[in-house]
Formats: sequence, C-alpha cells, structure tokens
Amino acid sequence: MEFLRMFSGDLINGIILGAVYGLMTMGLSLIFGVLKVVNVGHGAFIMVGAFIAYWMFTLFGLPPLLSAILALIVGIALGFFFYYVVMKWLLEAPELSTLLATFAIGIFLAEVAKAVWGPDYRGYSWNVGSLNLGVTTIPMAKVYALLSSIVIAVALYLWFKKTRAGNALRGVVEDKEGARVCGINVEGYYALSFAIGIGLTVMSGVFITLFVPVGINPYMGEVYTIKAFVIAVLGGLASPWGAFFGGFIFGLVENGSYAILGLIPGVEPFSLTQCLAFAILLVLLLLKPEGLLGKK
Amino acid sequence: MSLLELKGVTKRFGGLVAVDHVDLVINEGERLGIVGTNGSGKTTLYNLISGVYTCDEGSILLEGLDITNMPAYKRAHLGLARSFQIPRPFGQITVRENVAIGALFGTLIGEIGEDEALEIGEYYLEKVGLYPKRNEIANALTPIEKKLMEVARALSMKPRLVLLDEAMAGMNPKDIDRIVEIINKIHEEEKISIVSMVEHIMRAVVNFAERVVVMNQGKKIADAPTQEALNDQKVIDVYLGRFALEEQNA
Amino acid sequence: MNKGKYYPLFVAIGIFLVLFIFGKFAQGMWEPVALIMFYVAVGEAFNVFLGFTGYVNFGYVVFMGLGSYGMALVVSSSSMAGLGPWILIPGFLFAAIMAGILAAGVGAIALRLRGAYFAIATIGVNQGVKFFIEGAKIWGGSEGIIISKPLKVALGPHLANAVTTFWADFLVFMIAILAAVITIVFLHTRLGYGLIALREDEDAARVMGVNTTKYKNIAFLVSSILAALVGATAWCLKTTYVFPDDVFALSYTVDAIVIVMMGGTGTLLGPVVGGLIYGILKYWLGILLPGFQLLILAPFIIIIIILFPEGIVGVLKKRVRGKKLEKFIA
Ligand SMILES: Nc1ncnc2c1ncn2[C@@H]1O[C@H](COP(=O)(O)OP(=O)(O)OP(=O)(O)O)[C@@H](O)[C@H]1O
Ligand SMILES: [Mg+2]
Repeated sequence: MEFLRMFSGDLINGIILGAVYGLMTMGLSLIFGVLKVVNVGHGAFIMVGAFIAYWMFTLFGLPPLLSAILALIVGIALGFFFYYVVMKWLLEAPELSTLLATFAIGIFLAEVAKAVWGPDYRGYSWNVGSLNLGVTTIPMAKVYALLSSIVIAVALYLWFKKTRAGNALRGVVEDKEGARVCGINVEGYYALSFAIGIGLTVMSGVFITLFVPVGINPYMGEVYTIKAFVIAVLGGLASPWGAFFGGFIFGLVENGSYAILGLIPGVEPFSLTQCLAFAILLVLLLLKPEGLLGKK
Repeated sequence: MSLLELKGVTKRFGGLVAVDHVDLVINEGERLGIVGTNGSGKTTLYNLISGVYTCDEGSILLEGLDITNMPAYKRAHLGLARSFQIPRPFGQITVRENVAIGALFGTLIGEIGEDEALEIGEYYLEKVGLYPKRNEIANALTPIEKKLMEVARALSMKPRLVLLDEAMAGMNPKDIDRIVEIINKIHEEEKISIVSMVEHIMRAVVNFAERVVVMNQGKKIADAPTQEALNDQKVIDVYLGRFALEEQNA
Repeated sequence: MNKGKYYPLFVAIGIFLVLFIFGKFAQGMWEPVALIMFYVAVGEAFNVFLGFTGYVNFGYVVFMGLGSYGMALVVSSSSMAGLGPWILIPGFLFAAIMAGILAAGVGAIALRLRGAYFAIATIGVNQGVKFFIEGAKIWGGSEGIIISKPLKVALGPHLANAVTTFWADFLVFMIAILAAVITIVFLHTRLGYGLIALREDEDAARVMGVNTTKYKNIAFLVSSILAALVGATAWCLKTTYVFPDDVFALSYTVDAIVIVMMGGTGTLLGPVVGGLIYGILKYWLGILLPGFQLLILAPFIIIIIILFPEGIVGVLKKRVRGKKLEKFIA
C-alpha cells in the first residue's frame, strides 16, 4: 500500500517534471528539424536560464515566471549571436564540424559562467504554497512550471500552424529548395529558428531551477543535454511537438522506475533509472528512429 | 539468352507507386534504351535492380538466380554495375583511385592488388577520354567529366550489365554524339549488355539503342525494337510530342 | 610506389623519437611529453574510425574507460598476483577483449544508423555503461577501483613506482606507433580503399561491390581496441585508480575530435600534428592561465572548424601534391 502511494506520487511528479523536460527539448528538436544540427551544447543554455532565474530572484526578488520572459529574450539574443558568428558558416559542413562547434559553444558558456560566478552550487527557493493531492503534496511552484510549459508549447504550436512565418518555416523544413524558389528567405528562417530554439531552451532553464533546490552551477548542463537527446529521439528528433510528448514519457519513466528499481536490493536506483533511459534510447533508435509518434 | 529478368517488380513510396508491376527482360550483349518522362520511375527501376532499394513486390533474376533480396554489393560481384543520374564520385580522392575502387571491389574473380587496380583504372580512363585528368581530385571535375568517370568506374568492375542513368543529360549534341560513340565502342569491345536511359534525347536513342522500353507513371507502356517503339501511337501520345520539340531545338 | 608508401610512417616515428629523447633528457619535461603522446595516441585511435568512415563515434571514451577497467580488474584480482610484472599482459588482453565485445555489439546494432543518429546512439552507450556500473554497483560502483596496493603487491614497490612514472607512458608511445602502422596499412590496402569509398559515399560504395557493413565494423573494432589499450595504460596504470566519472567523461571524445580535425581527418600525420599542438596548447595555457584553458580553447576550436576544416596535414597534402615532398605526407 505504502509502495503504491509512493509510486503514484512519483508518477505525478514525473508528469510535472516531464512537461518541463518537454519544453527543455523543444528547442533542440526545432534546431535539428530546420538546420539538421544536433546542438551538443544544449545544456549550457539551460544553465544560462538557471542563472538568470537565480540572480533575478536573489537580487531583485523577481519570481521565476517573470524571469522566464527575460530568459526568453536573452536566449533569442544569444541564439542570433551564435547563429551569425558560428552556425551560419557551418551549414554545409559535415556532422563532425557542427557537433564539435556546438560542443565548443557549450564549453565556452560554461567557462564564462565559471569565470563570472565561480564554480559553486547555488539554489533558491520560491515559496508559494503547495497543493495537497492525497498521495503526495506538490509545491505550487512546480504546478506553475507545469502550466507555463504547457502554455508555451501551445503558443509555439499556434505560431507554427497559424502564422505566416510559421507556415514559411514549415515549408523550409519540408523542402528547402522549394521554399527558396517560392521566395522564402531560407537563411533568415535558419537564423530565426536557431534563435527561437535557443530562446526556448534558456527559458526552460528557469523552470528547471524549480526542481533542483541547490543544483545551479556552471556545469549543470551536461546531464540535461543528454536527457534532451533521449527525449528528442523519443519524439522523433526533428519534431518539437514530438519532443514535448517525449518529455512526458521520459518524466514518467525516470520517476516511475525509481520506485520500482529501488526494490532491487544492493543497487543505486537513481543511476539505474538513467541507465534505463539510455537503454530505451538505443532500442528506440533501432526499432523506430522516426520516434514514438512518427510514421514510417 | 536473357541475362536479367524482372517479374512484376513494384516499388511504392507512401501512396505513390513509383514502379508498377514491371516485367522486363534484358538479353546478353544487348543495347537497350529506356525512355520516359520525368518521374516515370526509371531511376527507381535502376535502384531496384542494383539493390539500393528492395522491391515491395515481384522478383529479379540474374541468369535465373533470384537476386531480389540480395545486398547491393553482392549483386555488384555478380556483374551488375551502374552510374548515377546525379554523379556520386568519391570526391576527396583522385579520379584514378575512384576507378581503381571499381576494379578492386567489383569482381570476385581473383584478388587484384592495389597497384594492378590503379593500372586498370588508367586503362578505362583512357577509354572514356579522361586519362589526362587521372591525378585530379574527383570533386574538381566538371559535371560531364564526372559522368564519364562514373562510366569508367562501372566498366572497371568487369560487369556483365551496365546501367547508365542519363549519362548524356545536359550535354550539347556534339558531346552526345561523342559519348554515344564511346559507349558503342565499349559495347563492342567488352561484349557486355548496356542499358541506358536517355530520357528525351532522341538523337542518342536512335544512335544507341537496339530496343526501347518506354515508361510512364511507373508502368512499362511499350517494349519493342527502336523504330517500332517510337512509332507506337501510345508512346507518341504520352511522350513523343516532346521528342519532336527537342529535335527542332537541337 | 611500393616502399615510398611507408615514408609518412617514418616521419611519424621520427617525431615520436624526438619527443621521447626530449622528454627523457630535458629536465622536468617527461610529464608534458607524456601528456602530448597521450593526445597523439587518443587522436590516432579515434582517427582509425572517424577518418576512414566519416562516422562520429561521440561515445568513443567508453572504450577508453572499459580498457582502464579491464586492466584494473586484472591487476586487483588476487588470483593473478603471482604473475609479477607479467600481470600486465593479461591486463591489456582483458582490456582489449572487454572493449572488443562492446564494440562488436554496438557495431552490429548502432552502425546501421547514420549521421546524427549514430552520434547520439554512441553517447547513449557511454552514459548507459557508466550509469550501469554506478547503479548496479559492480566494479566498485561510483567509488571506482583503486589499484595502487595490488600493483605494489604484484610488481614490488620499486617497479610499481617505475610503471606509474615511466613505463605507463612508454607504453603509450608503443600504442601510438601501433596505431600509426595500422593507419598506414589501412591507407594502402584494399580495406582502406573500401573504407574511403564508404566514407565518401556509402550507397555508391555498396553498388560498386564494397561490403560496407563489414568494413565499418572492422574499423570500429580496431579503433575501439586501440582506445582501450590507451585507457588501460594512460589512465589505469599511470594514475592507479579508475573512477567512472573520470573515465567516461565525454570531454575526452571531444579532445579526440579536436585533435583529429585540427591535424586532418583520414591522414596518418594529422593526429600526430594535432595531438602535438593540442597537448602543447593545453599545457602552456595551464601554466599561463590556470583555470582558464577551456575558456580560451573553446573559441580557438570554433575558429579552426570554420577556417581550417581540412586540418593542417590536409592543407599540407594539397600543397605538396606533385612535389618531391609528397611521399612523406599522408
Ligand atoms: N526516395 C524516394 N522517396 C520518395 N519518393 C521517391 C523517391 N525516389 C523517387 N521517388 C518518386 O518516385 C517517382 C519516380 O521517380 P524516378 O526518380 O524513378 O523517376 P525518373 O523516371 O528517373 O525521373 P527523372 O527523369 O526525373 O530522372 C517520382 O514521383 C519521385 O518523386
Ligand atoms: Mg531519373
């Protein structure tokens, strides 16, 4: 009974964290979908968002929901900057170049963060009450993170499907040459998608801080990069909506399996949940590389 | 004697039937032309024969041996060679090395040493007139030269059957005549079957092919000696209107 | 032709020899030279796969890690303590076998993927192995394995000390030579031609008769085993401990990529030159601006990727085409 209570509590937490994971991965998928670039420095942008949330809160008492907007703006600016300084020159380059370049960007950001703020672990707590669900109590901060993630995903979806820019971007994803012939400024849309992708990622870093009480530090990004890879593959790698869905699956598996794996004596369940995630990644890449929702 | 036989070969891409139940026989030593409008399924047919794609339906026999599900590299060993419509050279290595790779891997008859393969490469480059360019990096060739290099690469594999995919597209009449001549000469010397897709280049069809197969929307709509096929009313309807135009322009 | 083919190998071995002599006789220079040779060996091993196939094995470090575990497990197993110094032979063998088995498995499965999918899958393999070791608490779990004691027991304190301060590094030299020999053989044999063809265009290679699956797997296996040997000596023997957080750090894969790219992918001398420059740079920056090496290296890497994607030896090879020097550069 006690186990079931814990287990369902884990699942609920899994769904909530999953929404944030989904948001965290949408940018990665958007960038891969449009530029065919895997951003290995993804997590560093999450770290930037986390620091924005931290400083805005500790210095000015700005709640994360507001700093999220600031993070989006900073992220878009960073996205344009790195697009024009780095990515633009590598559009025709082999995989190797873009993998290495994005990794180097990630290192650079982490090192700048370390030089400016030091290597310490930091955290803050945004206390806005909690919600009692019987099996578990959930801080309202996390509920806000869940709701915000869903709102942002829906907004992006509407932008993509209903606006002219969104339509043009879809055209670019489907048929680059065709789009060019139709007079669409393909390069401009590359820059825009990179910027939006990074913007979303930095913003997601703000919400991540609500789940890691003292985990903010310059090198926090790597785990999220790798989690985002798994999630992106779950969703088909090139689809932001698939990624959002993949986030929920990942959140559920990660949190759900924790309670179950904890039943095995003599193991370290947290690491095993991670191991399971990568086992899923490999199986999926082999059996269904187009993602869980994708069609052949 | 039939060298290659296709029975009801079909390939679908989603809802589109790119190749639709095609039956086709290619005879030993034959010069066959395949024509058809854009998107009629010619390249897909080549991809099925050479093993780049696998058939959704039907079967392919090489001298009676079922090769329908055989991997591409094994088909190459049995004597199938091809060029690509959009040339696919091994870009970073020399022209000579490109052709040598054909000699090294295209056949199972006796192991050929690397140096010998390079010599064979030179021999075939000579044949297609690219010998002077043998030490250039393949990417540095012009599109026409790349196509010729692919012909040499295919020949160096000692094939029984060579499939050429629009080796003459985009060339002027003088080049076309020259290449048809080269190909006909190779055909004579090497005693191999050659299937060439000549799309809408009338001049090449008439000068090269003994027999013509006409494709339309994935289906084979005609298969007859060249003159006869080109006079077929069905063919004229879907296709030859454009031939006439081309001829006037040429 | 013929013998001239092997000249670049002599150039590489010449460079190693100079480095060795410099490290041995210049005061305090052995450690920096060992660091440089580590990077050279890592780059060469990585290049055997990347340079010849174009596939980016982002999880490459997992094979170095497994190699160091293989050595650690043998050295710390009490049943082999009686072997004395010979214990290193089963150590290397076990390192190679462990990496070989994983490489065969991963190769059979992941090599069916291309491009970004392959890179992501290999990252997944690395993380999966690391978390499995930590999670299932095998091989010391997240505590790792410390072999300083068993190494002393097996070799005696004197020799154990010599291994960590000299022989471990010396073996890295040997592995670098082995990798260079393998590279030159690849470059000039049927196998190498098949690999280069598949690197340039996999589909075209296949219709020309190249069994691409087989060749990719061979290159992957060879590269992985070389990585394991480097890990076994440069990490396990030299430091006498193996911690999962260290030996599965993806940053080592990135080091390898940078080295190979800076030097020139698919060339013999590329990783040698790349490793040399990268090692010297890291060492100097470490002295001049401790703590800021990466901050400077990152933009440097980006500049190299954008401006010199062919690498130093790649550019050089083009320059000397048709000249006398040509046969020395490959
Ligand atoms: N890999 C593929 N995926 C989806 N559709 C494809 C693919 N390859 C070919 N097709 C479609 O199959 C049809 C036949 O194409 P194919 O290239 O075989 O024609 P073709 O006769 O060679 O034309 P062309 O004269 O333009 O070379 C076309 O409608 C094409 O769009
Ligand atoms: Mg075609």
